[in-house]
Amino acid sequence: MEFISKQNFADFVKGLYSEYDIFYPKKNSGGGRDWAKWQKGDEFSLEGHRTVLPVKYFFYSPQENLVAKQRRPLIIFGARGCDTRGLELLKKIYLDDPKDPYFRKDILIFTADCTSAHSDCFCSVLGAHPWAEKDFDLNFSPLGDGCLIEAGSEKGKEILRKNSEKLEDVSETHKKEQARIRAAAEKIVNGQNNGVTLDMQKLKGKIETRNSAFENHGKTCVSCSACTTVCPACFCFFLSEGKENKIRYADSCQLPGYARVAGGANPKKELISRFMHRFGCKFSWRPSMHNNLGCTGCGRCISGCQGKINFKEVLIEVSQ
Amino acid sequence: MNDPYKTLKAAIIRVTDETSNIKSFLLKPEKKFSFKTGQFVQFTVPGIGEAPFTPSSSHFEKDEIEITIMKAGRVTSRIHELKPKDVVGIRGPLGKGYPLEEFEGKEILILGGGVGMAPLRCLLLSLLEEKNKYGRILLLYGSKTPGDIVYAGQFADWKKRGTEIYRSVDRCDTGEWKEKKGVVTCLFEGLKLNPDNGVAVVCGPPIMMKFGTMKLLEVGYKPESIYLSMEKNMSCGIGKCGHCACGKYFACKDGPVFKYSVVKDIANIWD
Repeated sequence: MEFISKQNFADFVKGLYSEYDIFYPKKNSGGGRDWAKWQKGDEFSLEGHRTVLPVKYFFYSPQENLVAKQRRPLIIFGARGCDTRGLELLKKIYLDDPKDPYFRKDILIFTADCTSAHSDCFCSVLGAHPWAEKDFDLNFSPLGDGCLIEAGSEKGKEILRKNSEKLEDVSETHKKEQARIRAAAEKIVNGQNNGVTLDMQKLKGKIETRNSAFENHGKTCVSCSACTTVCPACFCFFLSEGKENKIRYADSCQLPGYARVAGGANPKKELISRFMHRFGCKFSWRPSMHNNLGCTGCGRCISGCQGKINFKEVLIEVSQ
Repeated sequence: MNDPYKTLKAAIIRVTDETSNIKSFLLKPEKKFSFKTGQFVQFTVPGIGEAPFTPSSSHFEKDEIEITIMKAGRVTSRIHELKPKDVVGIRGPLGKGYPLEEFEGKEILILGGGVGMAPLRCLLLSLLEEKNKYGRILLLYGSKTPGDIVYAGQFADWKKRGTEIYRSVDRCDTGEWKEKKGVVTCLFEGLKLNPDNGVAVVCGPPIMMKFGTMKLLEVGYKPESIYLSMEKNMSCGIGKCGHCACGKYFACKDGPVFKYSVVKDIANIWD
């Protein structure tokens, strides 16, 4: 672990730009954070919580011509623990044999500990923490006057080696401060979720059975697919034909035509079956087949829902 | 770059009208194309779209591949407009086929309905190619009317090569039908079977698959001896796009052939 001061941090970012495009969380007018491409002179802080959109669209586009592309490698600077947990599932799906050659592999993930929480965040309900424990190249723990940096990959280590003159040794005070800030962030998430942590095995056993919670919460669903669009772990797409190449469109299990086959038969015609499909996929099928939850507790689905459905409440009710 | 989305060009050699809305397309891929019976391909109409089909020709045939297609939607309507010399694309082979090694030495009952006969024709031709490896082969085939029977001219040949054939039609308005009338399960009446050392393979419309499977269980087939070809909305064909979810499985990658014992507890599998 290393420490970087606020002053050196700006030089560190500038240095990285010579090799990489960098995207960072930039405050928007609504108080949330959007991904912004770093330009010379930009300054940013890693404090705060998750962005409005997940990191998945850096790896593939919602609409994409499937042709080879020449791009600068990329650093996503300031992803959160929930982003990496979603990304791990996407990697298991897209990079499983046969590999999807269009899923980007030239992106480095620099995570940052959350120092606050969006009001919809519920990672603690799933037993997760508001920081990344693995699957990052570098992790940054903001400490006020700088950041603690932990390398999680060979590439991350190499970057630290190249920047060694900007780094300082870590003191006990730094470590204590990191623990204090992490605990404070966890307290916020826990607090806004009333200290609830669900038993994922128990939930898995119940999630595929019809339950009044699905009926009650699902009735305001308007099948708009906002939940799947902003979800860091939803991966569905539709493959289509362009004039000279295939085109991939992001798709959603919440749209009425998702499972329709030629001739019109549609196993997911009823709204409730589509609503339940999403829960089954996230809490039973992906854990069974990919050893990965399909939910990260980021709460983006709640923030984006046009029908004001609180997906966390559905989980809690189903668990009871 | 190894691109699983890339299609192989294939020229149409022959188009056969099977029924009023079903045609078979004989294709010659630009390179040798191998598949196992039960695997499927994505048939691409350039610039229009793709749709998944299981070839109906024998998997021993490497130079040409035949695909039987019912006109049912946007892509299949365009496919039905294709003519010899047109060039299309195929992508695959995709999924897991019939585990023929598990069929060796066993009585094989093939239960088909309508255009569901297409993958079963591939299976039957592949079995007949090495008939000495297997026990008795029975084909039970149902269609709506005599005019809806696919491969109508080929049953005699399959019979000559050792297949026991039983056919039914739901109805016959012309009165010219000497075989059974009724839904396909009526063909089980009076049939002596050996479910203890037999396997059953089912393909057809979902409703026929459901009642066909129930009948097979009733006459003594074990859930693990019944093989189903699940029709789902496959798009990518390689287990990434999510469309063909069949409970925790992706039909394109984990199937499309599933043992009934594997999928029997999945909600709404017959929908």
